Amino acid sequence: MIGALVYLRLTSFRNFVVYRISRLRQPKYLIGTAAAVAYFYFVLLNRSGVPGAQGGGAPPAAAADAGVVGMALLCVGLSALALARLAFAWIAPADKPGLRFSEAEIAFLFPAPVTRRTLIHFRLLSAQFAILFTSVLMAFFFNRFGYVGGNRAMRAVGWWVVLSTFDLHLNGTNLTLSLLKERGSGYLLWRAAVVSAIVLYVLAVVWSAATFAGASAPGLLSSPLGLGHLTRGMLDSLPLRWLILPFRIVFGPYFAVGMRDFCVAMVPALLFLGLHYYWVSSSQASFEEGSIALAEKRAAAKAAALSGELPKFGAARPRARSGPFPLSPRGAPEIAFLWKNLLSMHSSLVNRRTVLLGLWIVLCLSFGMRPLLAVHARSEGFDVLGPIIAMLCAIVAVYTLLLGPQVARQDLRNDLPNADILKTYPLEGWRLALGELLAPTAILTLVLWISILVSAFAVDPSGSIEWLTPGVRVTVALCLGAAAPLLCFIQLLVPNSIMVLMPGWYQASRSRGGGIEMFGQRLVFGVAQLLIALLAGAPAACAGALIVFSTQWLLGVGPAVAIACAAVLAILASEAAVGLWWLGWRFERFDLSSEIR
Amino acid sequence: MIEVEALTKRYGGFTAVRSLSFTVRPGEVLGLVGPNGAGKTSTLRCIAGVIPANSGTVRIAGHDLAADPVPAKRALAFFPDEPRLFDYLTVRQHLAFVARIYGVAGYEDVARPLLEELELVDKADVLPGELSRGMKQKLVIACGLLHSPSVIFFDEPLTGLDPLGIRRMKDSIIRRARGGAAIVLSSHLLHLLEEVCTHVLILKRGDKVAGGTIAEVAAQFSSGEPDVSLEEVFIRATGGSER
Repeated sequence: MIGALVYLRLTSFRNFVVYRISRLRQPKYLIGTAAAVAYFYFVLLNRSGVPGAQGGGAPPAAAADAGVVGMALLCVGLSALALARLAFAWIAPADKPGLRFSEAEIAFLFPAPVTRRTLIHFRLLSAQFAILFTSVLMAFFFNRFGYVGGNRAMRAVGWWVVLSTFDLHLNGTNLTLSLLKERGSGYLLWRAAVVSAIVLYVLAVVWSAATFAGASAPGLLSSPLGLGHLTRGMLDSLPLRWLILPFRIVFGPYFAVGMRDFCVAMVPALLFLGLHYYWVSSSQASFEEGSIALAEKRAAAKAAALSGELPKFGAARPRARSGPFPLSPRGAPEIAFLWKNLLSMHSSLVNRRTVLLGLWIVLCLSFGMRPLLAVHARSEGFDVLGPIIAMLCAIVAVYTLLLGPQVARQDLRNDLPNADILKTYPLEGWRLALGELLAPTAILTLVLWISILVSAFAVDPSGSIEWLTPGVRVTVALCLGAAAPLLCFIQLLVPNSIMVLMPGWYQASRSRGGGIEMFGQRLVFGVAQLLIALLAGAPAACAGALIVFSTQWLLGVGPAVAIACAAVLAILASEAAVGLWWLGWRFERFDLSSEIR
Repeated sequence: MIEVEALTKRYGGFTAVRSLSFTVRPGEVLGLVGPNGAGKTSTLRCIAGVIPANSGTVRIAGHDLAADPVPAKRALAFFPDEPRLFDYLTVRQHLAFVARIYGVAGYEDVARPLLEELELVDKADVLPGELSRGMKQKLVIACGLLHSPSVIFFDEPLTGLDPLGIRRMKDSIIRRARGGAAIVLSSHLLHLLEEVCTHVLILKRGDKVAGGTIAEVAAQFSSGEPDVSLEEVFIRATGGSER
């Protein structure tokens, strides 16, 4: 029977490849593939010029220490993510826990004369295809940053061990949850016990790391050498060494320096993997109902993604909610779109799982940063928390501007299936486009405002920068705050314009997953977004800089920034108005049925 | 009043509708029929302002749809074959949204009888995902009728409705026409069109094959036979094939 399942997997894979190759005849897929191949070649494979590259000789000591720190951080990050995922599986399990099968697999395999154990094997086998591919990709990607020895093949196997163990553990967890739920009694108690154990474990790890960092010599954080020393010492200290033993076993082959070390590390790793396999394959849980529910949920999520919605982390079915504000039948119709799109945005982004995930990230960051910050404050004599927060806010702001428009899609892009209805509304194109863009603009602006506000307080808390007076601080924050909505609006105009200009491309690129050509298409769109952002921002930035430099001698920094801000706003508003008019004009002439064929 | 003159719609090199002209006066119901690919949906989408025509003029309630689209669209309602709804708006929120778009003051007074007529009162606070296809179609109709349009377009209005729903939909169309609305509907269900329509327009490969009152069109293709059905007329007019 397994032979038939292998046949299904291999044949599906072959047909998938043939289909993907045949559709390269269409320019949108060909260009996407070319962009992705170029990216992988130049970014992942072509390592000329990278110090310590494969075969390029021994890396410098400082780079090797930086590599140790980087790899340790990567390991900690992945372990934290894995723990978070497992904790969520126990905290908020599906109503009916099950294994991941597609709807077609359920339709054909569940009624087939195969044992439950065979179905589990099929599931594990299916996962292996994805895991093997991901392992090879990850080996290439992370090899670029690795200075701790080993080769790509060893790293690929290392990744395979990590991903396979995690996949087996997650399946084992789901099957165990399913079994506990079947038995009924003690289901909640078991879950509470496991979650408590995970929390206690995390606290013990953080306490051990903090204790070691607190007792270490001052000044270690000021150089890569010191950091490397600190990291090595921390990982080898007791009781941390024993606490993280399971993770050391799983990551052992990945961190192996030479072939001998690799072989030695593989023995416990394979034993650990074998134990997981035994746990999963010997399970007597009835996972069928849960798997059907999971498949339906995934199919719904896929359909939602195809219609342009955000992937949902919570329940598959949206719930009715009251509007964000009372909507009067009189007034500007654009506000009706803001009202409607805010309603849908709330359902997509705010739910139990996203809130829990956010809390988990904040907790991990708070606990994880404390030992490092304490050591730095002790050795360098000043607190770096403020500058770190300001830097994080700046990163959030830049990412919000560049990537936010791809995430906040509650605009024309989400309403593409309703384009026919929208076009019968008695509104000029620009008004409709304006209404559609208001909600994502409001959301992204809110994020930017919070980032600006926090940065304004966090940057240079000791007041060491002479010219950064409270007046200048407030003026700059207000000016940035005033420019934020216009910048977000212009950024949102780009993907919406691409959608009405090239709906065929847009339709193809918004399907989740989709392979290398989809990745390439998104890359092309991302570069286009960046270029247009630079082009749109350049005149305003130049004008602003010119005004500040030419008037600050006369008026002072604060007034000069305020005058420059007025000019910047005028330029950005003009650009936004022209873009909006064009988008509306194009949407009025937009015929999805003819342009997608 | 709907006035269409020399309407042409092309998709690249393919002509979906070729120089089509017709008029629908208040109180008339025009049935748009034709084989698959005849250009019915393209015609409906062009005259509802959903897609631009390549040439020709369309006047809705006296307003040129190309030159003066906003007042023209304010007078019309278009019901596509597939009910398109916003996933995150409840039935009641859909009506609130549409009321704001069309500026329907005191829409609650209009919405209440509409919801009652369409049997949606119990579902007023649920999302479209919880509605059956027929219910979704009813909601689309409620939204479309909220601003009391004088021109109405239906694309396959009876698809997905149960027998009772079909009966109610037919009664509703007739009642709107008697109330002075000019209505165009396309459907493959010819016996139903016979009951509802005052006029019929037969299309084939984008060309008008026949048009007029049902009696006039029947006379054109009956060869003197009495009581020729619309189905028979359709087969004779289109030559019994799509080509």
